[in-house]
Order: sequence, then C-alpha cells, then structure tokens
Amino acid sequence: MTSLRIFFIGGITAYRGLINWLSPWIFVPSLIVVPIFQILLFVFIGRSAGVQNDEFFAIGNAVQYASVPCLFAMTNAIAGERNQQTLAYILVSPSPRLPLFLGRALPVILNAMFVAAFSLAVTALILRLDIPPSTWAPIAIVIVISTFSCTGLGLICAAVGLRVRETAVLNNVIFGLLLIFTGANVPIEELPGWMQTVANSIPLTHGIQAAREVAQGASLADVDRLLATEFLIGVVYTFVGYQALRFMEHWSRKRASIQIA
Amino acid sequence: MRTLRLIGLGWLFQFKQMSRSSFDSFLAILWPIFFGTVAFFMFQQGGDPDALIYAGLGAAVMGIWTATSMAAGTSLQRERWLGTLELLVAAPQHFSLIILPVGLATSTIGVYCMVATILWGRLVFGIELTIEQPLLFALAIPATLLSVGALGFLIAVAFARYRHAWALGSMSEYPVWLICGFLVPLTLLPDWVRPISWLLAPTWGMNAIRDAATGAAPLADIAMCLLLGAAYVVIGVLVTDRVLHAARARASLSLT
Amino acid sequence: MAVVEALDLHRTYRTSTGTLRRKWKNVEAVRGVSFEIQEGELFGLLGPNGAGKTTTIKMLITLLIPTKGTARVLGHDVVRDAREVRKNIGYVFGGERGVYERLSGYDNLRYFAELYGVPPKEIRPRIESLLQLVGLKGREQERTEGYSRGMKQRLHIARGLLHDPPVVFLDEPTIGLDPVGARELRATIASLADAGKTILLTTHYMFEADALCDRIAVINRGEIVAEGTPADLKRGVAEGTVVEVEVFGIPEQTVERVRELSGVVAVSVEEREQAQALIVQTQADVELTQSILGQLDGANVGRISRREPTLEDAYVSLVSAEE
Repeated sequence: MTSLRIFFIGGITAYRGLINWLSPWIFVPSLIVVPIFQILLFVFIGRSAGVQNDEFFAIGNAVQYASVPCLFAMTNAIAGERNQQTLAYILVSPSPRLPLFLGRALPVILNAMFVAAFSLAVTALILRLDIPPSTWAPIAIVIVISTFSCTGLGLICAAVGLRVRETAVLNNVIFGLLLIFTGANVPIEELPGWMQTVANSIPLTHGIQAAREVAQGASLADVDRLLATEFLIGVVYTFVGYQALRFMEHWSRKRASIQIA
Repeated sequence: MRTLRLIGLGWLFQFKQMSRSSFDSFLAILWPIFFGTVAFFMFQQGGDPDALIYAGLGAAVMGIWTATSMAAGTSLQRERWLGTLELLVAAPQHFSLIILPVGLATSTIGVYCMVATILWGRLVFGIELTIEQPLLFALAIPATLLSVGALGFLIAVAFARYRHAWALGSMSEYPVWLICGFLVPLTLLPDWVRPISWLLAPTWGMNAIRDAATGAAPLADIAMCLLLGAAYVVIGVLVTDRVLHAARARASLSLT
Repeated sequence: MAVVEALDLHRTYRTSTGTLRRKWKNVEAVRGVSFEIQEGELFGLLGPNGAGKTTTIKMLITLLIPTKGTARVLGHDVVRDAREVRKNIGYVFGGERGVYERLSGYDNLRYFAELYGVPPKEIRPRIESLLQLVGLKGREQERTEGYSRGMKQRLHIARGLLHDPPVVFLDEPTIGLDPVGARELRATIASLADAGKTILLTTHYMFEADALCDRIAVINRGEIVAEGTPADLKRGVAEGTVVEVEVFGIPEQTVERVRELSGVVAVSVEEREQAQALIVQTQADVELTQSILGQLDGANVGRISRREPTLEDAYVSLVSAEE
C-alpha cells in the first residue's frame, strides 16, 4: 500500500513542482499548438511529394510528438530534483525505488497521452479524416502503450542528463532522431537496412504502425504482436533507465561529486 | 551614418557572442537537418527529381528561420540573465537600434545552417543544386537575411514587454516552414492562407532564392522582401517606445 | 540648480502568488524619498539590504518609472526626457553580471562606446586611458567569462565612464570584493569626485560612506530617516556614550531588559570570534554601566569598555529605531 501511495502522491507532487515552474505560456504553445502544426506540415509535404495519405502523417506525427513530454518533462523532473537538491533525498530515501520513479513517470505518461490524443483529434477534424469512433478506444490503448515505452527512453535521457550539462540539446537531438527513425513520416520499409534495424529497436515504431492499422479498422488482437513488442521495448528501456539512475547515484557517492546530488 | 555604424557594430558583436555559444549554433544547425532529412526521404520516395531539388533549396533556407525564431526571443532573455538588458535600455540610443542588430545576427547564424544542409543533401541524398544566376543568388541571400532578421527583431521587441514572448518565437517555427513555401508550394495551401504568406518576409526570400537558382527573375521578389523588412523595422521602432515604457512601469526589465 | 533632484519618489511593486488563482500584493519599495545633490558632490545613499536603494537609483537612471513623485537629472525629467538623462549619466553596479561573457573586455567596451555615442575618433584613446585607470591594461583581449569578480567590477567602472558623463551612479560597487580590491575601487571613486564629477553612491557599508561621501542620506524601509554630512550624523549620537560589554552567550530576554533600562538609546549584539559584544548606546551624562551589569547577572562577562559613538552606531540606531 505504501508503494502505491509513493507512486501516486510522490509523482504528482513532483509534477506540480515542475508545473509551477513552467508557466502556462510555455505549456500551451509547446504541447498543444506545436504538434498540430507538425502534423499539418508533414501532411502538406506528403501531398507535395505525392506519397501516402493524410491519415498516415496525422497518426505518425501525433504519436511521435508525444515523445516531447516523455523526454523533456522527465529530464526536467529529474534535473529539477537535482537543482532543488532533493534528488539526493530521493535516492537515499528508504522507500522502494521502483514505485518512486514510476510514480514520477505516471504524470508524464498521462501528459504524453493527452498530447497525442488531442493533436490527433484536432487535426482529424481540420483535415476531415475518417477515423470512426469505434476505433478511438483501441487507438487510445495503443497510445498508452507507446507513451509508456517512450517514457522509458525519457528515463534514460534523464539519467544521462544528470551528467551532461546541455540537456535540452540532447533531448532535441533524440526528438529529431525519433522523427526520422520511427516511421512517423517515412514507412520503415523505405529506409535502408541498417536504419530499419535501429527503427525496430526503439520506442514508438511499433506503436505507430499499430495505431495506423487500428485506425483502419483492425482490432487489438490483430496488432497484438506489435503491441507486445512495443511494451517489451518499454520495459527494457525503463529498466535500463532505472539502472542508469542508480549507477549515477552510486557513482556520485563514490566520487563525492556534488554535481549529481 | 552613426546609425549604420551602430547597427553594423551591434550585428558584429551579437554575432560573435552567439557563434561562441555552442548551444545556439549547434542546435540551430542540426535541427533543420533532421526535418530536411525526413523531407528528402519523402520526396525521394515520391520519385520526382525536380521536387527533390526543390526540397533541397527549401530545407537550406529553413535553417535561417529556425535560427531567427529560436534565438530572437531567447536573445533578450539571455540579455536579462547576463544583466546587460538594463544597460542597453539605459543607453541614450533608441532601443530599437540596439535590438535590430540582434535580429540580424540571429538570421546570419542561419547561414551556418544553410551551408550545412546543402552539404548534407549533397553527400547523403545526392541532391545537386545548380545555381543558374550566381550573382542574383548572392543578392537574394543577404536580402533574405535582412528581412528575416527584421522579423526576428519584431519578436525580440515583443519580448522586452512580455517575458514569455520567446514561446511565440518557437511556436512560429513550424507554421512559417509550412506557409512560406520552403517545402510546400503555396499553390497546395488553402487560398485564405496565401495573404498571410505574402505578409511574411521569408516567403519572398525563399522565392527570390529559388528564382535565382532556377534562372527565373528574382528581382521583384528581392524588392518585396526588402520592402517587408523595412515595414517590420518601422513597426518595431514605433512599438519600441510603448513596449519600453510598459516594461519600465512594470519593472520587468531585470526579472529573470 | 541641483544636479540631481528627487522629489517625493514612490515606487510600488505588484507581486503575485499562485498560477491559477492569482493573489496580488502591493509592495511599497520606496515611500516618499526626496533629496538633492549639488554639482561635484559625492552623495551617499546608505541603508540595509531591501531598504530601497537600488529601486531609488533605478528610478533616477530612467530604468523604472516612479509610481508617484518626480526626479530630475541636470534639469531633465527622468520620465519625459529619458534620452537626455541617459546621455549624461554613467551607471555602474556591483556584482558579476552585466558583461557579454563571450566577448573580450575590449569588445565589451567598444560596443558600449558605440551605444553611448562616443565620437568615433575618441573611442580608441578613451578605452585605452580607461583601461589604464581601472588597471585592466593587458587583460582586455581576454574573454570576460574568464575575469575575476574584481576585474568585472573594474570593467563596469570603465564602461560607466566611456562617454565621460558628468553624473555617475554607483550601485553598491564594492559588494563582494576582497578588501584590497575594494580599497582600490574606493580610491578610484574618490579620484572621480576630485575630477569634478557628481556621484551618487549606494552602499550598506557605513565605513565606506563615512570615508568617501560629502553627504549621506540614510534610507530604511523606503524612507529617508536621516540626512547630512558624516559629521552631522555622528553628532546625532555624539552626546551619548557607547558601552561595550563582551559576553559569552546572552539570551534574548536579557537584551530586552537592557533595552528597557531608562537612558538607553539602542542596544545591539555583534558577533565577534568566540564571543559576542553587547553594544549599548546611552544618552549623555548617564552612567549605566552598573545597571547593565546588573541585568547581565549570571552571564559570563569579559571586557567592558566605554567609547565615543561612531558613524556605525549612528547608523544602527537610525535603522533600528524604526523597529
């Protein structure tokens, strides 16, 4: 029971701390307006190049953009703890680590979900896409799994971010790589072999593909292999990220490095 | 004369200060390349070689806007952090003369971008850009820099008053890419968007650069570009006094 | 005509708490400050942190608009004729900020010289002589991010003097400097005054104000509580004496009891190395040593001395009188 409390309350409090620091002026543009424009941008580029269709780009970019809260909110949450010097307290706290960190991940996941769903919904309206209501629930589930998986990546970036000074550069680069490699705008099959390998080992790729199929009317059962792979990737990345944070903690204790904690 | 010296010197020093900040230059160069790469793949997939070249030029110019929109807003924020914003306001020169060079410097950083993108397109995607009229091309680029810089100047002025105006700058990145014809011909956009595109200097700059590269007549575009740039400057100068008065009344000059 | 005139200056800040349900609060930083500075004077604005010194100076240099009252520099109104004011003033503030870090010291000065309208022919010689004056010659080509705090401070002074302004505003210029650096800076300030410049200096170091200033205004909680030459201010407390008692730990109630003794003007406790000093200002012709010791009954007491009051004592009594 305590784990559950730590999970929810710890996570929400930390997130509120982050939100107080972020003003709504930053929040609203970057999480609500910008993804819609990213979708529109690629929809029109697609029309100009004569490839795919609007729905392809809408779903691809809506999910890909959800990586923004996963990466940035996560990094800022962890770095924010470090700056406020509460990270040390968390890392040495007697509470079980996993619920603690997962608790911090939950608001991020919810945030990411909202971003993906909202931008998709709005652009579907603008572009008059045909996404029947029967597909909405399955799409939502696919988005949840995808954002969970991407949060794992966010956790790794956050851990690395503790060592690196320019975390914003790191996160922007990861975002750019996700744009290219996840099939958000270019079908994986069209990419060179080595890029396909990379694509299949990162979050979001399988989720985007599953979302597209589900939007076309496939059932969740039809895409279960994709979803399972996506979920597995998420678990692996989260595990790695968690280990990375512990490693950082251990390293900072060994080196007495003030930088981390 | 004095005014030109001030602007010129300001341009030089702000450019120096920005170039030496690795964060600004590195990301400003890399960012449009990501998007350019995706666009190149898409056009490659589409199979139209002319369209690919079209995208190559467009992607190169995207960087100029990225650098400007990212840096114009944050530049004043940086002045705030450095503690120099107050010094600039307290100087006897008109504030707009001091901020205009900032906008110009940011778009000049975009040149790094242009070069990087063209090289990338060439090396990775084999996009060969041929410039039919090199002289006019060489004219079109500074014209674009000046007018885009002037637009950056407008954003920066807004930022003196509203601390969060930089969000406006970064929020405008995608829309400008979309409606100024970098990767998408204006004809593909809904009609009502057209007038908005025409009011934005990057549209004309892009046109001018394209025309110079393909052998069409860019002079009208260059003229329009510069005209718009001048209009931005005039608006900015007129607005500056009111913006500063508000900032001094609300004591928002030194707030971080 | 006074060079700088402040007439009933007020400045209120509005601050807010919370994001969704904002609560606004008005903070009166400056509440009716008036003073005049004559040509060639070195005027000190002395007060504790948060007294309103920086706010006052910023109103005078046109960075803040007063919520009430007016101010004039060389006859120009700071709100309406801001540009004229800016042409004639130099502004120097202490601390590490205010320089372009990735540019060299020389470039920084070059840029500001242009901003301040220094005639092109004079820029280079002016910069050279200023670098000489502040002792940065030879380091001017290095990027300022590598400068020590003292060096940045000196660069500030050079910057403030680029256009040879007749009026110079110095906002806590020696803050955070080591004693040697601070002493050198004060010498430079004194030489500026000798050269005929009108100077407004804000500081919370009383000895600095005492040593440098022709006249001082003591500001506390946004109001001027005293004004005059250092001698005038000392005279305000000179009639009395100061009894200093070295104590080793003294409870707050004891301090209160001493404060309540009749004939006591002010009491303060100062931390010294291993002990504290209980400093009691008494009125003239009052012998209170025995009564004070009586209150300290039971406490460990070291040396006891009586002395003349200094400007520091005057300052403490002025500032704590508001409590």
